[in-house]
Amino acid sequence: MKKKEFYIGYLPEMPEGIAKVVRPFTALLIVLVFVLGIIFLIGQRPFAKSYFEFGNVQDFEGTIQARPIPFLLVVSDEKTEGLPKFERIPLVAEGKDGAEELIRSYDGSRVKLKGTRIYRDSLQMIEVVGGSIVKSGGEGQIAPEKEESLGIHTLNGEIIDSKCYLGVMNPGNQKTHKICAINCLRGGIPALFVVRDKAGNTSELWLLGEDGKPVNEKIFDYVAEPVKMKGEVKRRGAFLYFYSNPDSIERLN
Amino acid sequence: MSESYVGISWNRQKKIYDAIIGVVVLIYLALFIGVGSLLHPTSTIETLLIRGFGTAAILSLHIVLIIGPLCRLSPKFLPLLYNRRHLGVATFFLGLVHGGIATFQFHALGELNPFVSILINNTRFDSVPDFPFQILGLAALIILFLMAVTSHDFWLKNLTAPVWKTLHTLVYIAYGLLIAHVALGVLQAETNPILAVSLGIGMLLVVGLHLTAAFKESKTDTEEPNGKGDYVEVCSVDEIPENRACIATVSGERVAVFKYDGKVSAISNVCQHQNGPLGEGEIIDGCITCPWHGFQYEPETGASPPPFTEKVPTFNVKITGGKVLVDKTPNKAGTRVEPVSIDG
Repeated sequence: MKKKEFYIGYLPEMPEGIAKVVRPFTALLIVLVFVLGIIFLIGQRPFAKSYFEFGNVQDFEGTIQARPIPFLLVVSDEKTEGLPKFERIPLVAEGKDGAEELIRSYDGSRVKLKGTRIYRDSLQMIEVVGGSIVKSGGEGQIAPEKEESLGIHTLNGEIIDSKCYLGVMNPGNQKTHKICAINCLRGGIPALFVVRDKAGNTSELWLLGEDGKPVNEKIFDYVAEPVKMKGEVKRRGAFLYFYSNPDSIERLN
Repeated sequence: MSESYVGISWNRQKKIYDAIIGVVVLIYLALFIGVGSLLHPTSTIETLLIRGFGTAAILSLHIVLIIGPLCRLSPKFLPLLYNRRHLGVATFFLGLVHGGIATFQFHALGELNPFVSILINNTRFDSVPDFPFQILGLAALIILFLMAVTSHDFWLKNLTAPVWKTLHTLVYIAYGLLIAHVALGVLQAETNPILAVSLGIGMLLVVGLHLTAAFKESKTDTEEPNGKGDYVEVCSVDEIPENRACIATVSGERVAVFKYDGKVSAISNVCQHQNGPLGEGEIIDGCITCPWHGFQYEPETGASPPPFTEKVPTFNVKITGGKVLVDKTPNKAGTRVEPVSIDG
């Protein structure tokens, strides 16, 4: 009878018959691991075209506007019908904090500040470098656009924090990002209500209470999940706002 | 042969094993992050790192878990078992990096302590779509940590083999937690079914191999020999290959009956090191050698050769009409029993 091979780990060589099985099996296992890695990569949901220019701090100049959310009002070189064209860029602080504290003493003032651009599609934002805001002199400017009501609507969508969604994280929404979004809202980062149509196109509305104030602390439990909300949609400049009572939120799951 | 305690008793096989682990992990991560950034140019490096380390950890854990049943089904896979604990420790570190980056990314730089954030920010335990899956990952990581820090033989000796073995059986709890962590976490946000299908196949493989191995072993346990009096018949002498054993269950305990040099001896089948199956071992240099890690015992005494101190129970043996009979009552570990001559 042929002697059965016996493997002993502390001997330098493994028996030939065992090696003939274990080596190809190990090679197969390794190939399988790499193939699965590629499958996991390909199988991921497509990433949004959102960007955070981390490390690229730029200078900005404009007028701070604290309400309804912190903005930097920047006058563009372009003109519309002879009037100056304005661009509103939302402001947030570094980390998971809103810009309320940073801009508190600058509301309505013309300032210079340093910050990093965050952008997704046509929406952009500035992460302000702490302590970089200085008054630049001159009168603060006021954008001439009027607020236009688009009516009362019940919308299905997802509540997210604007900073991560616009590009600091990718993905910056849905289940895996839920707790991060709660942390960001807890820190005062403005909330967005994202509405998707059947084709996957999105509209982003700045989410505020009926009184126009942030409602972050009342919506933690509903972040990053499908919800229904009722409220008034208003347009001002390029932005849409959703003035809604948080008590109107209903889960869709 | 057993061993005294050093950090790691390196030998050629362990070095090869660890080198393969290290190279495969590095290539996997480089591939995941490199190809990932090409396929998904707008993804962030943090996301690729979290997903790269996370998928590496779950793949590694699957391999750790299939090695055991594979070895029970065929001893040809034993080289994979020999240094499995290093693969287990590597799995913990992959999970730790995954959890560490995710904790910093999603929970740090906010108002709450990151660990408080994990525990209190989402309390929707009653919802499958919104279940706080991070807590499951944290619990699994704590188990893997306990296993990693007690993986050394120092802890095996001091905790005793049964306690150590029970502690390390918690890997199945960790596995269940991690499957739930993935299923209630990233799979809820992904739409491609291939990810869920891959996870399902992995689970089927782990569960299927364990059931198959358990079925195979159950035959040994259920075919307990009958016998009147103190001795029971376990096998015929001719069935036992030279320097090998037959395994039988006597009074609920597995006994290994070895044949060597014209003699027969019986000892407990359970190695004192990691409860390896001594009866699947071989007599080398006069000692029964465990197939798992090569620990050795003298067949007459059940004791490791000096200076080592491991001991297993021995059994009195008789041969009648070419049949081996084993005493139902084991002797105290290390008790010398004269081997029975086959020729009478």
